[in-house]
Amino acid sequence: MSEKDIRIGAYVCYCGGNISDVVDCEQVAETLRGLPNVVVVRTDLSMCSDAGQSLIEEDIKEKGVNRVVVGACAPSLHEVTFRKAVARAGLNPYLYHHVCLREQDSWVHQSNPDEATAKAGRLMLAGIAKARMLEQLDTIRLEAEQHALVIGGGIAGLRTAWDAAQRGIRVTLIEKSPFLGGHMAQLETIFPTGENARQALHELIEKVVSHFLVTVYTNAELTSARGYMGDFRVTITAQPRGVAEDFAHFDEAAAACPVEVPDDFNYGLTTRKAIYLRYPDAIPNTPAIDWKACTRCGECKKVNGTGIDLDGKPQTIDLTVGAVVVATGFQPYQPREGEFGYGQFPEVVTLPQMIRLMTMQEGNGKLTWNGHPVNNIALIHCVGSREIPGVHEPQEDGRVNDYCSRICCTATLQMTNELHERFPYINLFDLHEDIRTYSRGHEDIYTEASKNGVRFLRFHGDERPEVTAAPPDDTSPLLVRVKDYLTWGKELEVPADLVVLATGMMPNPVSDIVKLLKITEGNDRFLLEVHPKLQPVETAVPGVILAGTAQGPMNIQETCSAASAAAAKVGVLLGQGQVSLEPFVARVNHDLCDGSGQCVAVCAYEDAIALEPVLVDGKTVQKAVVSPANCVGCGVCVSVCPNHAIDVQGWTLEQYEAMVDAITADLPKLEVVE
Amino acid sequence: MTMASTSEDTRILILATLSGGYAGANAVGQMHASYAPNTYILPVMSPAMFSEDFYLRAFERGIDAILVMYSGTDSPYKGDAEHTAQMINRVYPLMTERGINTRRLRLVAICTVCTAAFQKEIRQMNDTLAEIGPVRAELAAPHEQSA
Ligand SMILES: Cc1cc2nc3c(=O)[nH]c(=O)nc-3n(C[C@H](O)[C@H](O)[C@H](O)COP(=O)(O)OP(=O)(O)OC[C@H]3O[C@@H](n4cnc5c(N)ncnc54)[C@H](O)[C@@H]3O)c2cc1C
Repeated sequence: MSEKDIRIGAYVCYCGGNISDVVDCEQVAETLRGLPNVVVVRTDLSMCSDAGQSLIEEDIKEKGVNRVVVGACAPSLHEVTFRKAVARAGLNPYLYHHVCLREQDSWVHQSNPDEATAKAGRLMLAGIAKARMLEQLDTIRLEAEQHALVIGGGIAGLRTAWDAAQRGIRVTLIEKSPFLGGHMAQLETIFPTGENARQALHELIEKVVSHFLVTVYTNAELTSARGYMGDFRVTITAQPRGVAEDFAHFDEAAAACPVEVPDDFNYGLTTRKAIYLRYPDAIPNTPAIDWKACTRCGECKKVNGTGIDLDGKPQTIDLTVGAVVVATGFQPYQPREGEFGYGQFPEVVTLPQMIRLMTMQEGNGKLTWNGHPVNNIALIHCVGSREIPGVHEPQEDGRVNDYCSRICCTATLQMTNELHERFPYINLFDLHEDIRTYSRGHEDIYTEASKNGVRFLRFHGDERPEVTAAPPDDTSPLLVRVKDYLTWGKELEVPADLVVLATGMMPNPVSDIVKLLKITEGNDRFLLEVHPKLQPVETAVPGVILAGTAQGPMNIQETCSAASAAAAKVGVLLGQGQVSLEPFVARVNHDLCDGSGQCVAVCAYEDAIALEPVLVDGKTVQKAVVSPANCVGCGVCVSVCPNHAIDVQGWTLEQYEAMVDAITADLPKLEVVE
Repeated sequence: MTMASTSEDTRILILATLSGGYAGANAVGQMHASYAPNTYILPVMSPAMFSEDFYLRAFERGIDAILVMYSGTDSPYKGDAEHTAQMINRVYPLMTERGINTRRLRLVAICTVCTAAFQKEIRQMNDTLAEIGPVRAELAAPHEQSA
């Protein structure tokens, strides 16, 4: 299209006064009238209303407008609304540009209406400058395999699998360990509902594993991945279980096994054998061999030779899936040796250990630990959470966990309530920085703890309590020293028979998955979404979606919401058997490309850009070629091209330069009155 | 110099990532907080796309300061934060060569809720501009090393 054929419609929205109370929209409109290519300028009380959108549609149809610029609220709110209006009128939706006049102008310059008006004028000019250079773009349409891979068999992965299958999407769920359920299986009574964790979990697992669209592999991990949304080629490697489904001699085999290792189900409080069931009614209910621990001595086989195979080979499964959901979960923070006396005194345990300990403790009579009666318990919050850089010792990677793990406050208070209910004679001391019972129903748990007589002591983050051995003649083995700010900084000593550390959450280490799928981890090491509010479960790699605590600390309710959101996203992406991607990807101008390959060298995304033979004037030469499905549009390649041969469609350098020129231009009609 | 005349005299270009600074700017707006109006925010997927030339050209066209509000380690794109930092580091010596004060260009990580940091960066850049003046003076002067 030649420049003279460009016909721009510019619209300045009053936003019901939100913009026009500060910005003189009529004056802005006046500035735009008569600009080259601008054929329609309008103001309206509410451009996003049906009437406002109709104005645009009519101007496209009747006045031949072929580029549209709207100055209104933030693009996150109504850019899509206006693109749709433009499309309804038969124009390519990418011939639209949105200018933010509300959040970035009228709302922040309320005391400066003249300058806000001048700024609005310049922003609109910049938008018009970009609009002159807009081109028709088409969304990238790809055939999509209606099949999702879900990585992780905790509550997040299970819930995602169930919801996606209910939407008609085939699901393959892989779980690294031999058993399903993740950490939820290790909980007992769960807040805020008071349900039994495993009962609720088992109901879901049974539904998932019996769903005709779901295939589950345990002992399985992702070992390779290529491709793009709609067409990921993945390989799963499943380790053998070592035990046949119908093997009926587990107790004898376990008794015969000479290997004893700490039982991770009980967080090392007990031991188990190399042939094991995670817990009696674990799912699948077939025992498994712990290959890391097993010495292959064959003692278990001697019990009944037919059901155990110690020489099985890993199985590889190649799949094509349209989307991948990462639900790899968390691990509880592991305190360092000596941190709050952990590992130093046997009376110091973590909250996850305490939950297991409570289930191992029979009846409601007397609580004992290590053969000693327990009369005083100190529970310390924020262990491995809300750490302060420069104050707390960093971990191996040099970072501290400065985030809040969110679940520990309520879980700790719930523990005090359970302790009080079962062992009402125990003195409970709750040492906290803050109490963050943030969610619905959680505050009730705090209120109950207060009523139960729990003694609350509040410390400052940089003056954490100290756990020491008590003098030999004390009745309790430990003393917890704390500067308590609820008593104006009084130094107190709390006797403790047991110290419970409310350890925070850390993501499960998944650097292999991060590498394979080209997704990113945040500074806190949890997996990163594109935008915490607007695209909360999507990663920057189209088709790779996050669910649950792999993304950040969440309770079960939040995990299930996130998982349902992930499944909904999978449904939207794959439900039609075709996926559409935004066209904002790199594009190479082959007239300018000299095949230097610098773009290929800097690109972090496999298969996004490559040098390929291209026929030019009868000769075969190497030129950069973009695979739109693999490109994320970050533009790293754009900046290194010595010939300016690459651009990101819809966000070209030329468009930015034109906007800069518009911003620096004088606005004769909008002199600021001083 | 009043706020109004600062605004007319100097212009700050803010290149703000959609996943970070741009959303942060919107959050400031939603709070109805205020900052100087001589600020022009352009959304970017990632500032990694801009080579040295882009920044130099912008200064030459009369942009007095550029704040690159990227997503830092929170960027959803692999490697783009490091690449952006490298690019900006390459711009500084070229600015010096042209007599443009390097304090006019700053790379800062701004998140979607970093409202205070967003305002602080603008305040500080305006303080810098009040001290060093508009870019045109530097461009007009014979090219000597500036700070
Ligand atoms: C002490 C404590 C008490 C809690 N109490 C409550 C409570 O009362 N109420 C409540 O609502 N919430 C509670 N929670 C939170 C709850 O445990 C979590 O919200 C929930 O378990 C998170 O589920 P998930 O699926 O995201 O992660 P996980 O349970 O960690 O599951 C992740 C799964 O992914 C698997 N996996 C990891 N990496 C891979 C890989 N590479 N390939 C394949 N599979 C992989 C893991 O083996 C695991 O099975 C508590 C948490 C703690 C620590």
